Amino acid sequence: MMFDAADTLYLALALYALGTLIALGSLFTTDRRPQHAALIVMIGGFAVHTFWIGVICTRTGHPPLTNLPELAAFLSWTIFAVELGLYLRYRVYAAAFFVYPLVLLLLTVPAVLGEPFTHMDPSLRSGLFTAHILFATLGIAGLLIGLAFTTLAFMQDRALRSKKRGALWQWIPSLDVCRSLSYRLLATGFSVYTLGLIAGAMWSYRTTAGIIALHMKEMSAVIAWVLFAALLQTFISGAFRGKRTLYISGAAFVAIIVAILGIAHA
Amino acid sequence: MALTLIGLNHRTAPVDVRERLNVPESKIGESVRSLRGIDGVEGAAFLSTCNRAEAVVSSRTEDVIEHVVDWLALQAGTERASLEKHLYILRYADVVKHLFRVASGLDSMIVGEPQIGGQVRSAFHAARNAEALDPLLQQVFEQTLRVAKRVRTETALGEHAVSVPYAGVELARKIFGDLRGLQVLLLGAGEMSELTAEHLHQQNVKQVFVANRSFERAQELAARYSGTAVHFDRIDEHLASCDIVIASTGAPHHVVKVEAVQRALEARRRRHLFLIDLSVPRNIDPEVAKLDGAFLYNVDDLQSVADSNMEVRHEKAREAEQIVTREVDLFRQRVVAQDAVPTILELQQRLEELRASELEKCLRKVGPITPEQRAAIELLTTQMVNKILHYPILQLKQAPDEPAERESLRQTIRKIFGLR
Repeated sequence: MMFDAADTLYLALALYALGTLIALGSLFTTDRRPQHAALIVMIGGFAVHTFWIGVICTRTGHPPLTNLPELAAFLSWTIFAVELGLYLRYRVYAAAFFVYPLVLLLLTVPAVLGEPFTHMDPSLRSGLFTAHILFATLGIAGLLIGLAFTTLAFMQDRALRSKKRGALWQWIPSLDVCRSLSYRLLATGFSVYTLGLIAGAMWSYRTTAGIIALHMKEMSAVIAWVLFAALLQTFISGAFRGKRTLYISGAAFVAIIVAILGIAHA
Repeated sequence: MALTLIGLNHRTAPVDVRERLNVPESKIGESVRSLRGIDGVEGAAFLSTCNRAEAVVSSRTEDVIEHVVDWLALQAGTERASLEKHLYILRYADVVKHLFRVASGLDSMIVGEPQIGGQVRSAFHAARNAEALDPLLQQVFEQTLRVAKRVRTETALGEHAVSVPYAGVELARKIFGDLRGLQVLLLGAGEMSELTAEHLHQQNVKQVFVANRSFERAQELAARYSGTAVHFDRIDEHLASCDIVIASTGAPHHVVKVEAVQRALEARRRRHLFLIDLSVPRNIDPEVAKLDGAFLYNVDDLQSVADSNMEVRHEKAREAEQIVTREVDLFRQRVVAQDAVPTILELQQRLEELRASELEKCLRKVGPITPEQRAAIELLTTQMVNKILHYPILQLKQAPDEPAERESLRQTIRKIFGLR
């Protein structure tokens, strides 16, 4: 049987699965070494993932942004890249417990739905469309990791208030660090995501002669935007505490996932 | 080479005995040089902390023990008889195990306390600078520091606070992360609150404000932390600018009211406020705990944090003991194997010479053979020699710790195989 470079997708998936398992397993120990091992395995997966994306670009002649499998793979890649950058900058590991499973799940989409080597629809060959997808993906990556830190901040706040340690107590950074990273990621992610939505609306307006369709994908994207705006407002107003923030975060997460899954096959 | 440790610690000697053997760090070099000067001592190190004084020596024979006890009595300025009852004497692998445990904090009064690792390192450096270490002690101390590092990395023993003041600092870190740049308000002058403030001051907090019923006392305390004294009736004004409030006034009522904290939190917007109430009766209204952004801990809460941390430490100490046991075993094997290397090499060389000469004799008698046949015979004889040597080498590598027993085994093997 001949080796196909596209099969490296499964190697990346296997490495991500292994890294995620080790990271989740490290929750049951006080030893930091499993976390380092998990990070190294995930970086290995990321390298293979990068190679695989390169293969897609070479074979199709365009970036992997045209259908759900390609986008899920690209989003998974972007989320890990952002997470890795954050780790290298702040040495905060705890978000990995949420981010690694998400990276794994997103890369499972192209593996389950099949090879995403489709040639680009001529209508999609536009700078505006590329800007829309790139900005939206980067924004979503920032927003999702921001949500992970929001959850960590909530858990830390609850643990400190109840005076009982939760499962992640020893790994969660200080409340101030969680809040600060959460705010920065949400604010940056929101700005970039907004640019992505504007670019998408403009592209849609141009290609459909002034008619902007509002299907499930578009509706979810707009709802997610509104929810993230509400979340940011709680930060700015100083009301970022309690269950309300967590409910908004949960709803925003669902809306963004629905928007991603709503992307139709090309 | 014999390895011996003679010393006393907080379990075997009262403080009035321990303090006699306490040598300041600046004078350890001098002490270790005089210990090394004892007749028969090949290498020496001296560990002196407030809880222990231990002399570690390597020597050709065990005769030096008596001299080292005399030396300790001289250092303590006391009769040998009165010191002897507090001393413990360890030999060989027990010395290695003891040093591994001490440096890892497993033998400390508070299990896992981190200072001892640094103190063992200082003792090692002092002995090395005094040129008092022989290769064996050098190896023992280097491995001791490696094991201590491994224990701390793998078990995180000592990471959690086990005293009330440290528990306060640990919680402050969980809320604010870096404590530099924070402002602390100290209300009253209880012993526990002073200790907590002291620990926070050591973390380089930006400013400590001190309020007390007596302004002079407040000024006195503020001077200790390079802080600022404030009038007691103006504490509400400082609540908004301070991040940590420690109350211990002895007043029979709530000094910090919920309304004042509410106003402070509104002024602080997103920033948290950590309040530590160490007084009984309590000085901070317990309703404060219900406010968003305020974290209120009283003395019982902090004690419970310290207690649960202590339980965690004991669990980690069990893991650490396993690491130490494995490391002692590995170290012992390495030292015994190193000791056996010259005899093993001689043994292998002797038997190889015998094999080669006997093979040549045999081949002369047999006459011409093919290269394949010769290779087969070479292989057969080499394997036979290896089989014969297997058990003697194993015995040499697994020899007992005691040097005299090891030497006796070596001599027996040398006799059997006719080594010179």
